[in-house]
Amino acid sequence: MNTLRHLIAAVLGLLVASAPVLAHHSFAAEFDASKPLKLTGTVTKLEWTNPHTWFFIDVKGEDGKITNWGFEMGSPNGLMRAGWTRNSMKVGDTVTVEASRAKDGSNNANARTVTLASTGKTLFAASSQTEGR
Amino acid sequence: MKAAIVVIAITVSFAVSLSAQWPKYSEPGIPRDAQGQVLMDAPAPRTPDGKPDLTGDWLRADRDPRPPELSGIAAEQGRGSRAVVVEPQVQQFPADADSPPLATFWDIGTNVPGGVTLTPWAADVKKKRMAIDSRENPDANCLPMGITQFHMQPQPRKIVQTPNLIVILYEANYGTRYIYTDGRKLPPQGDPQPWWYGYSVGRWEGDTLVVETNNLRGAESGPSDGWLDVRGTPYSDQATFVERFRRPTFGKLEINVTVNDPKSFEKPFTVRINQRFLADEEPIEAVCNENQQFRVRIKVD
Repeated sequence: MNTLRHLIAAVLGLLVASAPVLAHHSFAAEFDASKPLKLTGTVTKLEWTNPHTWFFIDVKGEDGKITNWGFEMGSPNGLMRAGWTRNSMKVGDTVTVEASRAKDGSNNANARTVTLASTGKTLFAASSQTEGR
Repeated sequence: MKAAIVVIAITVSFAVSLSAQWPKYSEPGIPRDAQGQVLMDAPAPRTPDGKPDLTGDWLRADRDPRPPELSGIAAEQGRGSRAVVVEPQVQQFPADADSPPLATFWDIGTNVPGGVTLTPWAADVKKKRMAIDSRENPDANCLPMGITQFHMQPQPRKIVQTPNLIVILYEANYGTRYIYTDGRKLPPQGDPQPWWYGYSVGRWEGDTLVVETNNLRGAESGPSDGWLDVRGTPYSDQATFVERFRRPTFGKLEINVTVNDPKSFEKPFTVRINQRFLADEEPIEAVCNENQQFRVRIKVD
């Protein structure tokens, strides 16, 4: 059964390893893959729209100052296929976001993964940077 | 052991099914086993007049190498966490020795031995497009993205085949192609108003649908015209395409695309796109322009 276990591991690995992601293919014009971010904050607004979903979070800095950050994700169709529903994340939820910052230095970024504090579940953000498609 | 492998195979094929907006509905007329799994290797269906029927929803089943543009990303690869929910993978087909090189989404000629040879004009167009990070890619601007990007988009497309007309409805950017199979001839090249989708006619050569397209808006027409891939390999207003569609089994659609464009390429080239039948799912509405802010955010408009 070791072989079976290896097979299952391989199959799961394959599924996790290279998620094809619906993309809008404008990543490089707007975001910088070499500027990764990881921020935790409270969701203030959601735009479940095409061609990109956006959400905004309030992040508290070390000085106690609150900054609002905007995150681009993929389109709703891509997000749904990655396990999202429009109710996965709500205003007031605490989330941790891994993202790439906007090239213009604004408080915008392209989200790669979103982890919901309430469930610990991590969802792919179906954005163009997570895979070359 | 054999049973275990079968279980895994089923699990994998189940995992690639998509959850969409429509509630799950088992489509009639699809060959299935006792468990309801689609028999992808069953014979392709045929229309009453004996032609292969290409009707159905299709997903691209080929993979692309990760492009260097994204190499700075600390990807999720290797993280190994099952807590990460990812988009389902489309199961690939075994390698086909008779296949032309597989088309790739970022740079269409990646798998063509020696690459595709661009003319100096086309090389210059591509260089300028890449210099501004492909921001004029029609896909990024909610515009029709051209035959090859449409074929390779990860979103599904629905083919509706009737005796005299085949329609391809793309989920991506709401693309629509009309392919006339009623015997009409293409308008002479350069005669009619060129279109984003060009003018397409199809004919059957045995079980292969041969589609010819001309009078396309080439790269001369505008910055988002004439794109073959994300990096902006161009085609010109002289380009004609020949697509050969084959459905060798119920679950597989092969599309060989030949690009004839002497203004852009030293010689014609042919690439393959494979697609897998998507059962019991429907396209998801995706109206690209409902909240398009890209050009405002990157401050070009």
